[in-house]
Amino acid sequence: MKEYKLFEIESDTKLDSKYTSKIKAPIYTPNLNKPSVFKLYDNTKTKELIKNIKKSNINDDEKVFLIEAAKRHTVFNYSLIADYYVNSNKEMQDLMEQSALVIIDFDKAIEYGYVKLSEDIAEQYLKDTKDDK
Amino acid sequence: MINNFCVFILTHGRPNNVVTYDSLKKFGYTGKVYIVIDNEDKTAKEYYKKFGKKVIMFDKLAISKELDEGDNFKDRRAIIYARNACFNIAKDLGIKYFIELDDDYTDFRYKADNNLNAIDRKPIKNLNNVFEILLNYYKSIPAISIAMAQGGDFFGGAAGNDTLICKRKCMNTFICSTARPFKFFGRINEDVNAYTNLGGRGFLFLTITNVAIQQKATQKNKGGMSGIYLDNGTYIKSFYTIIYSPSCTKIETMGSKHPRLHHSISWDNAVPKIISDNYKRK
Repeated sequence: MKEYKLFEIESDTKLDSKYTSKIKAPIYTPNLNKPSVFKLYDNTKTKELIKNIKKSNINDDEKVFLIEAAKRHTVFNYSLIADYYVNSNKEMQDLMEQSALVIIDFDKAIEYGYVKLSEDIAEQYLKDTKDDK
Repeated sequence: MINNFCVFILTHGRPNNVVTYDSLKKFGYTGKVYIVIDNEDKTAKEYYKKFGKKVIMFDKLAISKELDEGDNFKDRRAIIYARNACFNIAKDLGIKYFIELDDDYTDFRYKADNNLNAIDRKPIKNLNNVFEILLNYYKSIPAISIAMAQGGDFFGGAAGNDTLICKRKCMNTFICSTARPFKFFGRINEDVNAYTNLGGRGFLFLTITNVAIQQKATQKNKGGMSGIYLDNGTYIKSFYTIIYSPSCTKIETMGSKHPRLHHSISWDNAVPKIISDNYKRK
């Protein structure tokens, strides 16, 4: 199956760095225990809204619209969603990726790239401050 | 000069106070700069007189018709129009990568030294190189936009922290590409609206806290968006984000001396996590 990537990227970054411990790329380390699928979202508010919509006297088209809009109130827990992803089979993973429920850091481009960026900025800092007293 | 890259300074109503233009030179940027103004700016002539061919004017009303402003107001004293216009302006110029800057930056600074220890301020002297480093990172990752940090990113004090954090937000200094277009929406708070709502759908925004910009205090700096903020405070501003992303944002009181209402984001409920491809089943 096709891998879902938002953009084509240009990356060749792979490195170990003395700076790794000093920076924090926004990479999540998932828990290898699979949470219950019902813990991934909280639709309490959504259900309450839908209940009121269904009880109302508005027309069916309006009901459909409001029911779709009510789903904006469903709260997703993206940590648990990532935990669920890593413990799922390939088909489920592919579907979760298609829905952008996780972002996959292919070849560690984001993580290692941030290390490289930090090294480069540190090097530039040294150049910019070498004449400072 | 950085290949295929330019700076857009988004400005309105203060041709004699485009602070960022001078700051760019002062902090070592020598590349292409364009002054982006709109056709409702009464001071347009003065911009042309001062900046000549560097000025690019866009049609504010026309672009407003392509956008979701999130309300039915008529007040177009907002930056959202210019933010969106930059993508087409870059295309017309034949430039793929650009950074959108506001017009009120007094300096560009390092927030970490060469050992990556947090520092309060140290001026960048070669902004060309820093922009190029940021751009290289942007090109190498699937981000829709990345930004330098700003004052608000260090509330609580960056100095003293020994870890630099790359944040999932994006404000002020948007590095963008015509190949990765997106739309800002919501008349105001358009930056927060974008990184929460689009972020929630898997579009990646990042803030690089190794470097930062410093701005003039918004409500003391005449022109720009000061008027709309003074008229409405932050009360209405914050609600745009709630309208677009009600499941992960709320209004809270911010500050103790001069408390004001401000949006608050529950990040664990806002954007999908980034995880290593080691976890992806082959």
